[in-house]
Amino acid sequence: MTMSTPEEKNKTGLPLVHLGIARPEELAPLFADLRGRFDEECACACDESSWKQFRDTWLGRKSGVLTQITDNWLKPATQELKRVVGQELNQLRAHVESNIEERRKSIEAGADETASARERVDLSLPGVIRPIGSHHLIRQVLQQIEDIFFSIGFSVVEGPEIETPYYNFEALNIPEFHPVRDDMDTFYLDLPKGAPQPLLLRTHTSPMQIRTMEKRQPPVRVIVPGKVYRRDNPDATHSFIFHQVEGLAVDNDITFCDFTGTIEYFVKQFFGPGVKTRFRPSYFPFTEPSVEFDVSCIFCGGSGAAAGGGTCSKCKGSGWIELFGAGMVDPAVYGFVKYDPKKVSGFAFGMGIDRLAMLKYGIDDIQVFFQNDARFLRQFP
Amino acid sequence: MKIVYNWLKDFVDVKATPDELASRLALSGTNIGGIENGPHGAVIDAEVSSNRPDSLGHYGIAREISAIYKLPLKPVTPKPKESTAAKAADAAHVEIQSPELCGRFTARVIRGAKIQPSPQWLKDRLEASGVASINNVVDATNYVMLELGHALHAFDYDKVRDHRIVVRRAKPSEKIRTLDGIERILAPGICVISDGDSSRAVGIGGIMGGAETEISFSTKNILLECAWFEPVAIRRAARALKLHTEASTRFGRGADPEMAELASRRCSELILQLAGGELLSGVVDIYPGKRAPKKILLTRAELLRIMGADVPDKEIESSLSALGFSPVRVDQNRGAEGSLLAAWECTQPSWRADVEREIDLIEEVARIYGLDKFPPRLPAARQGAARLPHYEAEARLRERLIGLGYQEILTIPHVAEDRDALFRPPDVQPARLANPLSEEANVLKSTGIVTMTTALEWNLNRGQRNVRLFEIGRHYRLRGSESIETPILTIGATGQAREKGLYETAREYSFADLKGDIDALGAFAGGSTWNEGGSAWLNPAGRGRIALHNEAIGEAGELTRRVAEQLKLRQEIFLAELQLAPLYSAIREAKESRKYQPLPRFPGVERDFSLLLADGTHFSDVVAAIRALNIQEIANMEAVDLYRGKNVPAGQYSLLVRVTFQSRETTLTEAQLTDFSARIITALEKQLSAHLRST
Repeated sequence: MTMSTPEEKNKTGLPLVHLGIARPEELAPLFADLRGRFDEECACACDESSWKQFRDTWLGRKSGVLTQITDNWLKPATQELKRVVGQELNQLRAHVESNIEERRKSIEAGADETASARERVDLSLPGVIRPIGSHHLIRQVLQQIEDIFFSIGFSVVEGPEIETPYYNFEALNIPEFHPVRDDMDTFYLDLPKGAPQPLLLRTHTSPMQIRTMEKRQPPVRVIVPGKVYRRDNPDATHSFIFHQVEGLAVDNDITFCDFTGTIEYFVKQFFGPGVKTRFRPSYFPFTEPSVEFDVSCIFCGGSGAAAGGGTCSKCKGSGWIELFGAGMVDPAVYGFVKYDPKKVSGFAFGMGIDRLAMLKYGIDDIQVFFQNDARFLRQFP
Repeated sequence: MKIVYNWLKDFVDVKATPDELASRLALSGTNIGGIENGPHGAVIDAEVSSNRPDSLGHYGIAREISAIYKLPLKPVTPKPKESTAAKAADAAHVEIQSPELCGRFTARVIRGAKIQPSPQWLKDRLEASGVASINNVVDATNYVMLELGHALHAFDYDKVRDHRIVVRRAKPSEKIRTLDGIERILAPGICVISDGDSSRAVGIGGIMGGAETEISFSTKNILLECAWFEPVAIRRAARALKLHTEASTRFGRGADPEMAELASRRCSELILQLAGGELLSGVVDIYPGKRAPKKILLTRAELLRIMGADVPDKEIESSLSALGFSPVRVDQNRGAEGSLLAAWECTQPSWRADVEREIDLIEEVARIYGLDKFPPRLPAARQGAARLPHYEAEARLRERLIGLGYQEILTIPHVAEDRDALFRPPDVQPARLANPLSEEANVLKSTGIVTMTTALEWNLNRGQRNVRLFEIGRHYRLRGSESIETPILTIGATGQAREKGLYETAREYSFADLKGDIDALGAFAGGSTWNEGGSAWLNPAGRGRIALHNEAIGEAGELTRRVAEQLKLRQEIFLAELQLAPLYSAIREAKESRKYQPLPRFPGVERDFSLLLADGTHFSDVVAAIRALNIQEIANMEAVDLYRGKNVPAGQYSLLVRVTFQSRETTLTEAQLTDFSARIITALEKQLSAHLRST
């Protein structure tokens, strides 16, 4: 512990006159020295007994440094000096008192640290573990998508999974024997004889485009999350059930630029701002122009090359991943819902959620979504 | 469609590498599956969409390339040397009896051809395209199909009776042995190529030729068919026959009727080149389906309305010209480039049946110009967005269930009939599938329980013994011919509610856990009540029906041992199913009607009553008896301990009931409390024959 030299200590024992100080501006360095000495000693007071000694040195009622200053410097000082000494002394007192108190607190806190090992908690042990459930990953992705579109003015609607051929196909400009029907192998229900119409499991969420436009007049801006069914034999990338989010925006001024802007906004929100996008012309009976929408491969960053050499297996070296089909609503569709195709325009899209989730989380088997293994469910709390 | 890169150069002088070319094709609408570099150069795998049959040939792809790269497309003008002595019209006769199925039929006749293997260059191109080489004449028809996108068929002229072809509908149960050697039974509505007196089928129009008239190495004379068939009829026929061929793909998507004669000429030229012989002059061309080309107007105003950004005149005109639409400016401002009033009259080319409307032309312009040239922007929202009406209620239920330790699942509604029947209420008509993928998945779940048990089973079979699951989904039923989808919440739990840990002992999940958790959900809806009863698959000793405001919304309990054993579930399973619609609306109503209760200012006092009750006397009886006393100061009653066994007589049980007294006006005095207690004890003794135990 470094203590102050006797000379220095002595300074407060002598009146200012004896120290040769007559002008107020000479006081500041004097107090600065004192404050420096205090800070030095404060740092050295690291246990209870040294702290007590330190406190008495400065705040002792009879011969503490502050008392000495009051007695020896302040009281006998000339009128001219008294005011300044008073100010300096007050500042020093505030500094001393608060630091001594703080020092005490930190020494006490330190005392807890020295408690015996037996009393201390073992931080490596777990706390009480309460069972807590989890959202299904598909639900999380659906929610995220819903939130993004909701933030740009899309309402959410739901519809039946058991549909009529009219809503699933015909009103979407897919007449019977249209080649597109071959790509959408369909489950039909076994209905009693004399049923007025066949019923099927919807092959996409697009029927809700029709149902929504039948009910509402433009402006329409909705998304439709839901289950869809295609009669495919299940494997790692196919499931006869999967989830889609349909989107539809119709108004008197919606253009292709609004469409691409909306989709790009969504994708950058979902995959991050660094993702690149492209639209490829494609064909769907209920959109015109139709597009396939690609994003730069999120696994290889769009380079097409795998990290360990060779081509990226996810995008097959193309650097792009096909995400979903979309386009401007075909005017023929408006005919089915009695909108005037000369006055309104709009866009529609349908994205597969399971695939999106598989891409985003690196899942290589679509079946895990439906097995509901608790170990899988826990991975995505 | 496999595109042989070098083949394209026959028609367009493209300089781009195969990779570049594939990428540009992809960005203008020809989906590319991949590129392979084989012994015959690069082969681009094009996945041609069903509206573009014109792209099912190299010439069609070359046309796309000429539009994309603004390169000239070389015309196809075959001029085979024709005989001066004999006319095709004298040598072959064609009659179309069903013009609704066959819109055009052309026939050419080649005499004295020598059937032999094809030369190497031809074999190479076919091999690169994935088509097997058969002989020079058949190969020539396949070659022209791959080149011009139009399927042809060559008959052995001498095997065609009377050298006469009759195109007609199939007769009921008519049979034909096709080129692949399979005997097929035709349905009416299928287009048949017959010969002679039309009694014999020698081909299925637009799908496959017959075996009896096929070209063989002994064939001398050839009758070359190049026709056009109605697409919808072809698709129906191919589906009915389960016979999908290169020809049916092309005709089924809509081939070019004008191409029929050109492709026939081109093929004749090739046969003469490969097999020699003499081509009879002229062509037999029956063309009942000839249509005048359609005129389609494209206006800049509509282009701008749909696309939202402009395309320069030159780009519009050059793309449409290259694609064959022959655009002509027809508006008043013809001289003014970029005029907003600009309009072009276009002529639909015979190979583009898919382009009929202005919107179709807009797509053509946009895809060739480049979709990336239309700047993306976010449209202004014109109205507020709404969540689903039950969004908040569903979210709160879900969050609470997760907080209570349940994991959310999603199940496939397709289940096995017998399994569904285990849980299906007797009066429910299930939604069976007409075409299930398997018997294990032939009906849609009529309860959520059926798939919940499957999910529990999956976990138990994989060493996951302590599981708590929930699903927010639907069940599916029929009412007559109508489908009913009902939103439901299904809960399933098994194993330990609390596992043994450092600080706690293990505890099995019990009915009380399920009840408590359901009541925690019911709290959102103003409180749920329980009544006796439940489905037969629930253990009668551990089940109950759940109601909100006296309306039953579901049931809960322990799975009976009988069903558990059937499902090979070897531990206690707890299940519940609640209807969501009434729950959601009750949650909404409860939220709307909830009002602040001022907090009591005076202390509450607890008094415990240790009661001996007869078995069969319920806690609710105790509560009712105390309530009947109408003591306003009773703030709460709860059961805090229940005991049977030692020191409790048989047929009785001990129940510790804690009553909290609290006044809103004053601090209760000891005298008041003593009075309340005395009244309570008297009432319980009198009404329930309860005995107060000394504690």
